[in-house]
Amino acid sequence: MGIKLGEKVTVETLTVELSTATELTLSGTLSTPTAQNEFRRLLQDLHAQIVAARTASFAVNVEALSFVNSSAIRAFVDWISRAAHAGYTLAFKTSPSVTWHRLSFSVLKSLAPGTVQIVEATAGAGGGASP
Amino acid sequence: MSVTQGERTLKLSRHEAAVEDARRFAELAVSYCTPECREAVTLAVCELGENLIKYSAGGDEANAGTIGVSVENDKVRVRAVNRVTSREDADRVSEIVRKMTVSDIKELYRERLQELFANPSLPRAQLGLLRMAFEGGFRLTCVFEAPQLQIIAERACTGA
Repeated sequence: MGIKLGEKVTVETLTVELSTATELTLSGTLSTPTAQNEFRRLLQDLHAQIVAARTASFAVNVEALSFVNSSAIRAFVDWISRAAHAGYTLAFKTSPSVTWHRLSFSVLKSLAPGTVQIVEATAGAGGGASP
Repeated sequence: MSVTQGERTLKLSRHEAAVEDARRFAELAVSYCTPECREAVTLAVCELGENLIKYSAGGDEANAGTIGVSVENDKVRVRAVNRVTSREDADRVSEIVRKMTVSDIKELYRERLQELFANPSLPRAQLGLLRMAFEGGFRLTCVFEAPQLQIIAERACTGA
């Protein structure tokens, strides 16, 4: 399932939107196996699109992604690995008010410091609702 | 296995949507607690619930196991009980929990993510218990009384 510019894909409680050619916006929650599988497939397709377009840097806005299970964390690990091999960077826009953003993205960055950037939103600026 | 007084309990069905049921159950069980506590309990219930659905024994039974949530004296407790397939499964979980009590939890989490990063084909993420401790601030213990495995996660819940 490829994702087109401006298209909003909803999988159960997860919403995914390719807001610009170089930015993906994720919102809602991700907890069921169906959503996990669709999410993983979507990221694989998106990686192929990024490589084909020779995009040097890609942004992922997760400010309004309030809850994910461990499978989603693993999907991010796999994406970072593929990005590192392909040579593009991933800039995650996170919310300081969401615990899993604050804690897990700093560890994810340590896996590939040259590939991952964390851009933390200023407190109170959009997204970041509790699960 | 003992039941904590005042504990709200969910019998988790084996249907995949049960994880979403578990998330709603967690939100209701601690709806009066602090946002930080609600976030942590939701994480714990979802991770334990997913493990129950994936790994508990007795596939012909309607329920994968139970998850209980109780709040008492500024402490929240999440308790998962299920039947395991083998003693080895229980030992494996016990060893992970033991390691978590004697190690730097952030370092353990980082090590596991590093393993997954280096070996994308690893079949199991095995991040759930680590996230509960690292992100959720829970202290974990487990008890095995064949064939039942009980995992207990506790943390402070001030301001409830």
